[in-house]
Amino acid sequence: MSHAHGIPKHRQLPDKEAKLFKELLVRFSNGPFQVSPSSSITLLTVLETYYELKQYKKGLKAADTILKKFPNHGETIALKALTLHSSLPFPATAASVPKAEEAEAMARTAVKKDITSHITWHVMGILAKQRRDWAEASKAFAMARKQDPDNIPVLRDAIALSTHTRQYQAALESRHHYLLLRPQIRSSWLGLMISHELTGDYDEAIRVYDGLQATLNKDGATAPEKAQTLMHVIRLCIKAGKYDDAMDRLEKGLREDVISATGEASQIKAQILLELGRKDEAEAAYRALLEQNADNLEYYRALLRNRGQDISKALDAETTAAVLKTLVEFGETYPRSSAPRRLALDVATGDEFRSLVRDYIVRGLERGVPSLFVDVKGVYADAAKMVTVGEVVEEIVSKLEAEASLHGDDTIPPPTTLLWAYYFLALHLSHRLQPTPDHARALELLDIALAHTPTLPEIYMAKAMVLKRAGDAQAAAEAMEDARLLDGQDRFLNGKAAKYWLRAGNVEKAEELLAMFTKKDMTAVADLTDMQSLWFLTEEGDAYNRAGALAMALKRYQSLVTVFQEYEDDQYDFHSYCLRRMTLGAYIALIKYEDQLRTHPAFFSTALSAIDIYVRIADDPSLTVEKLTPEEEAERKKAAKKAAKAEQKAKKAAAATGDKKDEAPAPDADPRGEKLIATETPIDDALKLWAPLEAHHPERTETWLAGYELHVRKGQFARALRDLREASAIDKNAPGLLPALVDLRQRATTIPAGPVKAAIDEVLPTLISDKSAADLVATWPAPTAAHVLASARTLKAAGASSADVAGVLARLTEVTPSISDMRTALTIVDGAERDSLRAAFHKRLPLAFVFASAEDKAARAAQVAAAAEPAVEGKTDV
Amino acid sequence: MDIRQATIEDLLGMQNANLLNLPENYTFKYYLYHALTWPELSYVAVDPSGRIVGYILAKMEEEPSAEPSGHVTSISVLRPYRRLGLANKLMKQSQEAMVAHYNASYITLHVRKSNRAAISLYRDTLGFEVHIMEKGYYADGEDAYGMRYIFPKKEDKKEETASA
Repeated sequence: MSHAHGIPKHRQLPDKEAKLFKELLVRFSNGPFQVSPSSSITLLTVLETYYELKQYKKGLKAADTILKKFPNHGETIALKALTLHSSLPFPATAASVPKAEEAEAMARTAVKKDITSHITWHVMGILAKQRRDWAEASKAFAMARKQDPDNIPVLRDAIALSTHTRQYQAALESRHHYLLLRPQIRSSWLGLMISHELTGDYDEAIRVYDGLQATLNKDGATAPEKAQTLMHVIRLCIKAGKYDDAMDRLEKGLREDVISATGEASQIKAQILLELGRKDEAEAAYRALLEQNADNLEYYRALLRNRGQDISKALDAETTAAVLKTLVEFGETYPRSSAPRRLALDVATGDEFRSLVRDYIVRGLERGVPSLFVDVKGVYADAAKMVTVGEVVEEIVSKLEAEASLHGDDTIPPPTTLLWAYYFLALHLSHRLQPTPDHARALELLDIALAHTPTLPEIYMAKAMVLKRAGDAQAAAEAMEDARLLDGQDRFLNGKAAKYWLRAGNVEKAEELLAMFTKKDMTAVADLTDMQSLWFLTEEGDAYNRAGALAMALKRYQSLVTVFQEYEDDQYDFHSYCLRRMTLGAYIALIKYEDQLRTHPAFFSTALSAIDIYVRIADDPSLTVEKLTPEEEAERKKAAKKAAKAEQKAKKAAAATGDKKDEAPAPDADPRGEKLIATETPIDDALKLWAPLEAHHPERTETWLAGYELHVRKGQFARALRDLREASAIDKNAPGLLPALVDLRQRATTIPAGPVKAAIDEVLPTLISDKSAADLVATWPAPTAAHVLASARTLKAAGASSADVAGVLARLTEVTPSISDMRTALTIVDGAERDSLRAAFHKRLPLAFVFASAEDKAARAAQVAAAAEPAVEGKTDV
Repeated sequence: MDIRQATIEDLLGMQNANLLNLPENYTFKYYLYHALTWPELSYVAVDPSGRIVGYILAKMEEEPSAEPSGHVTSISVLRPYRRLGLANKLMKQSQEAMVAHYNASYITLHVRKSNRAAISLYRDTLGFEVHIMEKGYYADGEDAYGMRYIFPKKEDKKEETASA
């Protein structure tokens, strides 16, 4: 042990074991560990290299030999943990899960045994990183660094982790240190430059780049890599507002042929010219860009902006005329591009708009462009334009019906033009922005079209859409199914049909369809979850939610939340990858994107829906048990039997091919969401979903109102009060605010005296008057359906009679409610009031089968069942 | 429809369009890999509401070879947005970027043997030729045609524009 000078006593090993320990490391000299010439030990970073299974076994054996004599040798325990962990398959299998846990426990023990070893901390960090626990990994790598500050692999991971967890100052400090250790490597410099940029110090970032030039030129970066780097610095100059500098660098890069004049540089150049006010050159640059891509809207906008004609703002008559003239000219220059003609529709008004939109629609109809309506409806935000479009299409339809020319000459339009005109008009008449949507006429038009051409899926799709808007989800699904059957090879139609079945509450049918296009060796749900299909997870979650199957709803919602976590975690590898590939601009864009990832509307709506479920089960735990009718129960049992049989079959098949169950991916431990819903802490679970809403959607009243529901249930009244103040500051007439304020006023009476109570007593009167709930509702202006629903909820919570609540809900008919608003209304009252409200809705919207009587629904269900029987018998096509 | 270079913000919209339209799907990380390696090559078609209705996801061939070449990983236009020539326009933009940024000589792609509509688009409209047949290329066992389009040389291009 004489050579063990400087090594702490607990880490010292006798010669024999020391040799084994070294062998254990040498065994992995090409892998995670590296024994440097000086025989000081360096741990390499990632476990991406694969080793022979045999090697792991040898390694484990060597570790065990040491541990037999020295069971407390921390570094050996750590190496054993890492060896074990590296031998596990990815993705995890049923057999590997307990082994991974064993390795984790071992790594923690190792740190306890030897807390001053960089090896024990590094191993702990590697394992934490593998399971994407970034906080713990950061801590572990920080500790490893403390023990061994100049360890390059540790430093590299520490930088990536600091960046990943957005500790830019810490990353910058590590970058400086890294540069000192590795000044000859280009990525050291690029990394420092990026770190400065992330802390917002663009000037310093540019200075680092300029200092790096010499290195870049001799280290053999490829031409595209050099171009990427230069382009990034030019972007940096633009960000720093140094347009002249940006232009100088750009022109030099072009002269020296570092960047290509025909690529991205041409866009950047035009942008700089515009910013510098070099108008003639900017005009020429944008014209050249349009020559290369005449469908790019930004090019047109920028070209006009350069002339002082900013079409994102309101324009005076003179400017409008000038803009339209330009766009019409471009329309003639680029007849194959719809962009200039479409832009003109946004700009034009009055008769000018009428004439332009007519041309646009006629052209689209004659070509049979299915997306024409979606394209044109973009102008519907302007109510007058919507009316004009309606008039124009009516005129076109009547001309076509009379077989008259659309061009005022003797050309006869092809018959398909009328078909597409019916299609357009039907979608127009039933659009949600219509003051009174005419679903009945829309359906009539589509039926005429179908009688003429029964083979065009688009017409059935339109019919499905109209029926859906009219409130008949079942008939809508059947129409979409008709569309799908016309082209069974088309995944788009398949997915639409599945979505419509989900809307109609038929999950089984939806999954059956989806399975036609998903991987054969797993369920449709598993494949679509793996493939991160956001639409599917939200739609199926919503379908379950509507049906009261809260466990399954929560399951799908939480899967979507997990997908967003994957999206966030995915960036980790790119912290080092992008520096190697020198794709710095894209990398910075990634960082910015990930920072606001959860502003995505799917995340927002899903988190709110899941939070709502948690609140409901917190208030009424009986909801966690699904209430099934005897028929449903029987159905469920049948399904379970079927599933068991299928599993049996799969097992047999697997056994036949020698597929061991242990080697299959670890099965979902909670496929039906039963564990999720059985949570002891629903409000805490919900708060986890709420935190990103607070961070990314603070501008939405829904965020704060959801926060209120959670905080009052946690007894956190100060926070609850803040939630309502925030909501009120955004919109003091927000629909959900009234019931929440009345609720807080009620709850406040039970809060013991103290600073919180005092704050509430002081603030509440500024948000709500002291009138009774009934008086508040009576005097509250309720301009939208959401307000009416909130009024009814307020009354109900205050203990008003069902008749009074129904009386308020009757006001819905004055505010053009959506089908979904009306469905919500039916959940607020019950008994006779519910039934008469339902009947009233149905009378108002006779097509809305969702409001049909129980007898009518039963009759249709019987019809559907009867129609389905022979198909099951025959079981041929589909 | 607006046609422009894809950015990181567009990737989820591309993933969505891909899942709606095609049987070959990828996780987000694969889209990131494209966008963070060849940021100039992928393009999107966007409708007035900002929805991504078509895309081309493209890359350069990573295996070292004498001539750099581009590859279309996936191209798709949502069904309602057909008949607008979007696939054609997306392909053109991506090809020009391959030449401008990576000096590509040609572009390759795979297509299902049964996908006649796509084969005809690539061959008749976009000038691709079948250069190889790959047996059982797809997960479900279907064969693929490897198709290729050799970019006109710069001199030829000048002539083309001159005569056009």
